[in-house]
Amino acid sequence: MHQGKRVMILTFVLVTLCVQGLALAQTTTVEFWHSMTGSRLTVLNNVVEQFNAINPAQQINPVLIGTYEEGLARFMAAYPVNQEPGIVQIYEVGTQSMHDSGMIIPAYQIPERLGENWDFGQYVAPIVRYYSKDGNLWSWPFASSSAMLYYNADHLRQAGLDPNKPPTTWQEMYEMGLQLIEAGVVTHAMSTGWPDWMFETQLAMHDQNFANMGNGREGYPTEVAWPNEFTDDLMEIWAQMAKDNVWIYGGAEYNANGAFNSGEITFLMQSTSSLDGVLNTVGDAFEVRTTFLPRVSDEYPRGNVLIGGNSLYVSNRVTDEELAVIFEFFKFLSDPDIGTYWHKNTGYFPATNAGMQALMNEGWFTQSPNHLTAFLQILSGKSEGTAAAGMRLGPFVQAREWVRDAMEKIARGEDQRAALEYSAQQINQLLADYNEFLD
Amino acid sequence: MRIKRKTLQHLGIHTVLILTLIAVAFPIYYAFTMATHTHQDAYAFPPILTPGNQLIPNILEAWKRVDMGVVLTNSLIIAVLVSIGKIVFSILAAFAFTHFKFRGSWFLFPLCMVTQMMPLPIRVIPLYQTMANMGWLNTYRALTIPYLASTTGIILFRQFYMTVPEELADAARVDGATPMQYLRSILIPLSWTNIAALLVIEFVYMWNEYLWPNIVTTASDMRVAQMGLRMLYTSERGAAEWNIIMAGTLVIMLPPLIVLILFRKQFAQGIAMQTTK
Amino acid sequence: MDRFPKHRFLPYGLILPSLTVIVVFLIIPFGQAIYQSFFRVSPFGRQLRYVGWRNFVEMFRSPEYLSSFQNTLIFSVLVIGIGLTIALIIAVLTTQKIRGAGFYQVAFIWTYAMSPIIAGVMWSLIFDPSIGILTHAIATVTGYRINYFTDTVAAFILVTVASVWVMLGYNICFFVAGLQNVPHELKEAAAIDGATPLQTFWVVTFPMLSPTTAFLIFVNTVYAFFQSFGLIDVVTQGGPNRTTEFLIYKIYRDGFGRMQEGQAAAQSVVLFILVAIVGAFQIYTSTRKSVYNR
Repeated sequence: MHQGKRVMILTFVLVTLCVQGLALAQTTTVEFWHSMTGSRLTVLNNVVEQFNAINPAQQINPVLIGTYEEGLARFMAAYPVNQEPGIVQIYEVGTQSMHDSGMIIPAYQIPERLGENWDFGQYVAPIVRYYSKDGNLWSWPFASSSAMLYYNADHLRQAGLDPNKPPTTWQEMYEMGLQLIEAGVVTHAMSTGWPDWMFETQLAMHDQNFANMGNGREGYPTEVAWPNEFTDDLMEIWAQMAKDNVWIYGGAEYNANGAFNSGEITFLMQSTSSLDGVLNTVGDAFEVRTTFLPRVSDEYPRGNVLIGGNSLYVSNRVTDEELAVIFEFFKFLSDPDIGTYWHKNTGYFPATNAGMQALMNEGWFTQSPNHLTAFLQILSGKSEGTAAAGMRLGPFVQAREWVRDAMEKIARGEDQRAALEYSAQQINQLLADYNEFLD
Repeated sequence: MRIKRKTLQHLGIHTVLILTLIAVAFPIYYAFTMATHTHQDAYAFPPILTPGNQLIPNILEAWKRVDMGVVLTNSLIIAVLVSIGKIVFSILAAFAFTHFKFRGSWFLFPLCMVTQMMPLPIRVIPLYQTMANMGWLNTYRALTIPYLASTTGIILFRQFYMTVPEELADAARVDGATPMQYLRSILIPLSWTNIAALLVIEFVYMWNEYLWPNIVTTASDMRVAQMGLRMLYTSERGAAEWNIIMAGTLVIMLPPLIVLILFRKQFAQGIAMQTTK
Repeated sequence: MDRFPKHRFLPYGLILPSLTVIVVFLIIPFGQAIYQSFFRVSPFGRQLRYVGWRNFVEMFRSPEYLSSFQNTLIFSVLVIGIGLTIALIIAVLTTQKIRGAGFYQVAFIWTYAMSPIIAGVMWSLIFDPSIGILTHAIATVTGYRINYFTDTVAAFILVTVASVWVMLGYNICFFVAGLQNVPHELKEAAAIDGATPLQTFWVVTFPMLSPTTAFLIFVNTVYAFFQSFGLIDVVTQGGPNRTTEFLIYKIYRDGFGRMQEGQAAAQSVVLFILVAIVGAFQIYTSTRKSVYNR
């Protein structure tokens, strides 16, 4: 009896030591490349720190790799020479390239490879649709966003306009813009971040495909679907706004935020992920409100806004130990608490339905209605169809640059049809070049 | 009468110079005041052009955001290594081209000059692949060795060694000194001004390098100062936290400025030597 | 020349370190660039396809490349023209017999320590469309708000001004050194012959400065072609509408971001030829002048 107890204690101590020793010997660290800049950087680092605190043997090392575009290019360059990280955050533009790259493990295969199960039904539906291929998720949902309209309610009051009635169509935007300028409140009324994405989003919002082959979801696209009657309607009014100083071009990514924050312009079309940055910077200087993006007209069918932001990809060269850490980290990110923390401090959607539910239960949206706008917008849109699901293009990075080129030309007063036509030709050439290498 | 005109002329010169100097120094002053304000004050209109009291907190914040300790250390290491390496390599080559007659020098000298024509940026794409194949990505080797051949350095020392009287070498030879002894004990002690000048040139150059380090490093602990600054700028540009950006800028521009100010005399003399052909 | 005739192999040993670096990291990679310019690389680098002269042909047919070429040349000419003129004027003024000449020479030197990125950061604040001090000043006077995010001319001015600024210290330094090397006797002789100071400058001083000028033209060209990369990458990323997408920036973007390595390699070859022409010009001028300079 006595002997038995001793043996048991001894065994216990030995086992404990072994486990601890193993844990110490096997600290697995996985590098995580991301592009979370500005206020989002601190939030992301906090999330990772929380994860690292749970288990010293499983560590994530976050590395800010540069812009989204750089992140994608760097991953592509690093993989062939064995310098890639375990996890990389890629913006939605890189989706097709990542799928075709042969460098990643599709997300749905991660639990399988570890002999575990995971319910992918828990993620918010539009996000799943965006990142799925043949019904399976290929990347882990993380920081998804969509575009919305931010506006300066004080400006509207100053111009004698109703701050509760922001523009719902581009025609209204144009007219309100002129009134704001006439009233001397601003010299330009509206600007936008990611002009290329805004163009893509407008197509999707009116249920228009961006490219053929079912928006690239039924096969490799060979040409873009525009310019067409719809883009004519849209770009004519944008061109008019540019001509009459209502629209001022605001650079490629977040440069326009500065103009909005300093009260230079009244309306800003930007990603929901800028919400907390904008709110923090503006403070009490004026009242920031958000609403749905304006539409062309109801002659066109209703589609939905596009999902933007990013998702997480895993290199297919990670070891099982590393994969286990990655899976743990992904599970951690899917936790409703983390989802709500992430959402509240960045403006990105929480990735899971449970996270959504938690936010509603605690009354977050009545507290901060600006955080609700993006949800309402995406939920009020249509969920079927290839246009709203988002386009798939191999050379999307370059294609987007060409779209931006066209937007810049139009903003400077060049003929909208010619500008779009030229960019369309360039993209079609890129698609042909890409497809040439696929066989 | 004549004196009066000259005074007037001098006054004019001083006015022009001082005005230009103010214009040239203004961006730094503006950056400095920005770095000393809170976010709200940095945004104030009309802009506040007097310094505030937030410099230290802003620097600490910038330090935290881009891991300044790491990027400053890396830049210091590569700037020092490359400066020393270039000085040594250039002295050796310049010594060979000025004190020896050897077969092929007619071809080898222009070959050494060719670096000037093929600056690193032209070769980034194949050179990146070379580095990748050698497994040198994310190492100090990749950040230093490709820089070591220096046209500027070879010309600088060659120019100077050609003016060194032949009798010195003859005397050394008669005394039984080997060429390397002569180089070490006679030529190098004469070259300190040039060495200091090249040190300034190369230190400043390496500290300010961006394109190549940006390409060969992905690991966050291998980043250099300019990458850190760029990262800080891009990161905070959306929120336009100019006070933090400028605080970081001030820190990053300081080291080369110090080196330049310390060795400004030698730098100017070295340049003077280079322009006298 | 040959001061140690008995050591026949030593000189080769002495140049070996420099030579190794040049061959391994310069000649060979450049050869690879030439080779690569005849190929296209598949999007994920797995395949290489020989395409003959297609990269070159398409490059010279691409309006974007041609405008990049043109804008690079305009930018270089502006940086050299404006930069060297200002530097020369300041250098001439600080080498006059005035009080504090030494102070001025030191006071102008320091922009040399600034990097193109720092220049970009500082000037982009001054030009910032919403809070830039220059933007405000211009808007107050003319009512026009310059915006370098959208306005190609404003962006071009911004990168030019920042470049001229960052090169100013270096240029002044070399001109001062060059001016101090001009023998006084020559200037005095001209003055005695009744030449005005301006005439003396154009007839005597400026020709004597030509090796310095040629050298500075070369260095500033290299700056405009290559070193400006950091400035562009920080401030405009080649925009708006690719106006500031200069040749080196285009090579980087095509080669890395856009994953078109073959096309980028072809551009590298053309850029090399361009730099070689300017470099040959500099060597020609400096060797020619050195004959009567000594």
